[in-house]
Amino acid sequence: MSKGTPDRTDVLQGMLDMMVLQTLDTMGAMHGYGIARRIEQISDAMLKLNEGTVYTSLMRLLQGGWITASWGTSENNRRARFYAITRAGRKQLVAESEKWDRLSGVIARLRTGEK
Amino acid sequence: MRFLWSRRRMDADAAEELQAHLDLLSERYIDNGMTPEAARAEAARQLGNVTRVREDIHEMNGFRVLDNLARDGRFALRQIASNRVFALVVVITMALGIGANTAILSVAYSVLLKPLPYANADEIYSVSIIVPERREQIPSLPATVQVFLAWQRGSKVFPAITALTPWDANVTGDGEPASLGGAEVATNFFEFLGVPPARGRGFITDEAVPGNDRVVVISDGLWRRRYGADRAIVGKSISLNGEPYEIVGVAPPSFLVPTRAQLNAIIPFAARIDIWKPIAPAPATLNNESWNHAVLVRMANPADRKRGQLELAGILTDLARVQMPGVKTEPLIELVAVRDIYSARVRRAVLLVVAAAALLLVTACASIANVFLARGASRAPEIALRLALGAGRGRIAAQMVTESLLLAVIGGGLGVVFAALGTRLLAESGPDDIRALSTTAVDLPFLLSAIALTVLTGVACAVIPVLHANRREPADDLKDAARHTPRRAALARQVLVGVEMALATVLLSAGALLLHSFLNVMNTDRGYEIDGLLTADLSLAGQRYQSGDAQRGFYDDLLQRVRALPSVVAAGAINNLPAVSAADGPSRAILLSEDTDFASVVLVRPVALIRSVTPGYFAASGTTLLAGRLFDDVEPQLAAIISESLAARLWPGAPAAAAIGKHVRQGGNMSTPLIPVVGVVADAKPGGLDRDPIAAIYRPYAQWPSASMTILARTESDPAALAGAIKAEIRSLDPDLPITAMRTMREVVSSTVSQRRFQTTLMLLFAIVALLLGIVGVYGVTNYAVGSRTRDIGVRLALGADRWAVMRWAFAIGFRPVLLGLAAGLVAALLSANAIRAALFGITSFDPISLAFVTATLLTTASLACYFPARRAAAIDPVTALRHD
Repeated sequence: MSKGTPDRTDVLQGMLDMMVLQTLDTMGAMHGYGIARRIEQISDAMLKLNEGTVYTSLMRLLQGGWITASWGTSENNRRARFYAITRAGRKQLVAESEKWDRLSGVIARLRTGEK
Repeated sequence: MRFLWSRRRMDADAAEELQAHLDLLSERYIDNGMTPEAARAEAARQLGNVTRVREDIHEMNGFRVLDNLARDGRFALRQIASNRVFALVVVITMALGIGANTAILSVAYSVLLKPLPYANADEIYSVSIIVPERREQIPSLPATVQVFLAWQRGSKVFPAITALTPWDANVTGDGEPASLGGAEVATNFFEFLGVPPARGRGFITDEAVPGNDRVVVISDGLWRRRYGADRAIVGKSISLNGEPYEIVGVAPPSFLVPTRAQLNAIIPFAARIDIWKPIAPAPATLNNESWNHAVLVRMANPADRKRGQLELAGILTDLARVQMPGVKTEPLIELVAVRDIYSARVRRAVLLVVAAAALLLVTACASIANVFLARGASRAPEIALRLALGAGRGRIAAQMVTESLLLAVIGGGLGVVFAALGTRLLAESGPDDIRALSTTAVDLPFLLSAIALTVLTGVACAVIPVLHANRREPADDLKDAARHTPRRAALARQVLVGVEMALATVLLSAGALLLHSFLNVMNTDRGYEIDGLLTADLSLAGQRYQSGDAQRGFYDDLLQRVRALPSVVAAGAINNLPAVSAADGPSRAILLSEDTDFASVVLVRPVALIRSVTPGYFAASGTTLLAGRLFDDVEPQLAAIISESLAARLWPGAPAAAAIGKHVRQGGNMSTPLIPVVGVVADAKPGGLDRDPIAAIYRPYAQWPSASMTILARTESDPAALAGAIKAEIRSLDPDLPITAMRTMREVVSSTVSQRRFQTTLMLLFAIVALLLGIVGVYGVTNYAVGSRTRDIGVRLALGADRWAVMRWAFAIGFRPVLLGLAAGLVAALLSANAIRAALFGITSFDPISLAFVTATLLTTASLACYFPARRAAAIDPVTALRHD
């Protein structure tokens, strides 16, 4: 495991999948490096991420049929694989987001002690 | 393959992507002002463990199980390739076990159990009449046509009733003249069986009237063979026995009807039935008393049996009272299920062979277990090493199982081939009764269960060594390497060898007893000779042979010409060849000269078959004369020669010579002439020796003409070579006369023992295979013991042990289980003797010759199997052995 500063949050598998999906949904087709950059940018370097695991996540999403991949050329003329979200992927993202919202709602309520 | 290829590509993709990622990150840090080294290090840190990522992706891209399986498969192939003998033994053993069992069970199922191709076949029964006074000579009688008609009219219990009687038809005018096997059937025959003709129609009630009966249904086989599957055949006219008949229907391809003596020994049908015509009794026929109509009834409710039997017996008795006044008898009715008509005769033989095949399968499983255990033992060190290196026990077991499964696939595949060939062979060359019912198709459930059993054995035995290793410290195995086989496994192998030998002994004993019986049957004097004879069956029919004179003229001419052939030493003819006609042909009650009241003696006196013989018959057939004389070429006065059993029945206790000069009457009534007995000859026994000969009375052909005769020609050279010349003589006399059959006497007799040959051959075959498996096991155990103790033996020899003692020790390892197995097998064979007793001839199941033969065979082969490894043990060089690892 790579070292990291204690105040950064570990990224769990399910979370990473959701982040990648969300990124592809928002930004359109992207390559792995771009996805990593986007997550880094949005999270303001608050997350501790082994960027290699992005590729594991992409493979998982590919196998789920939630994204597709095709080889193309990147902005700096390198061969790169571009990933794009599928219709099933969007559905999955909606479902996951709802689940996430429910979960964070529950946690929020638990913390504030509301009923 | 595609799958593997795409996985490789995916891995390359991932590698490329990760590399690009790394490059981009590095560039970014360089742009931020880092040194290239620092940038690269930072990029690598941020990317994390690349190998791990690639592995994860790789795993994700397939099933680990499949991956392992492919690897295990390759490993197994290498193992098999490096151990060909082992693989060969396993594969062949499996294939033999599977093939033999599946073939036998497929055939047994179709012969004994598969529903017969009739509508509600289990409702159909054959009706036989038992006349208690005649039972000893004639166990059961078919009906006469008037009895059938009376039953049909009068039976309330059996509304569905039909009849059939043999009918021979010579077909001429549309190609090579041919003699067809056929049957006259009641007009409801096809509806009764529930099998309508495939083309055209069956018979209609009107066609049971004489004059309307010139219609036939032909078999699918005849339609294809002779008429080229002519679609317009229905309505065409053909010439049968010189009369025109209209073809009204063609039976379906698999139409099953009784053949030969299946329905009743007294009325044999042809071996193949190709044509049917309606029974249309003319008034003249109604008065004669031919007991030649087989009757079938449908009994939907088995509870009706008793009532139905009484009803039919009652109708029969009423009829007999009118037709044979004064004859007092209470006939009984016997109902035989149609299944038994077809398979009762072969049931025992088939079951015997099924049992033998099952024993063979068990032997094969024991043998497979044996070789797998040996293999496991020799791989113990390897397994231990791998366990010590941290291999999962599950993975090792999986590898072993993969190997055995791979062998099972090969063995099973070969087994399927064996099964298919075996089934076809049995179905096509088995005895008639088996051929009639058997399908040539392999029965899938039997095939699968046989494969499952052998595979399970293999898998179980493959896993044992791993489980065994499980319980121990790998280090111990490693230290000992192969030197000390696990004791338990060695013992298990000896037990298995013992079991194999015991089973082989049982099979071999059965085989030897059957073989001895078969030889006895073939060597028994039947009262006539078998070698150097050619037979030709002829049946004269049509206008040309209406008169007895015309028939006699033909046979006289033919025999004269045959006798003139250079290699023929004797020739004659008889109406029914005793070898095949054990109980059929014309027969009469034989009355004594002092009998006066026909009705009171007709059931007391013996029945005899009337054999019409031409001059030269006795000389040609080699019949032994016991007293008196044979017939002269011309017999001006009535004369009869009787068989020894008829003499014994007519004059019990008197010597054969006492019969000469006595007079007998040939049944019917008291007005038949008294015939002097001029000679007594030995009984002519049926070819199969499966029943006692019915008494016979021989009459000169001139005094008892017959349209159908069998010509016998005796030659000093090969009888089969005569066929062409005799056929040419027949053709020159009558080009339109079909030759029903032409066979050497040996072939004729041989065909009557086909069932005996069938069970003997298969039993011996299985016994030999079982013995081979056992011997391989014995050799394996001994050889392995010697191989794994090479160093011990070396030490002993170095310390001065006697080489002879070493040899004895090695020999005993293999031989002890052989002796135990032999003893157990002989006991088992004797205990199971009941199963085979009925199939024996001239010996008991304790036949010392057979059992000695079995013991000698087993001990000799087993000794050889033990001797070679033992000699190797004795020849071990101590110096080399001590270096042996």
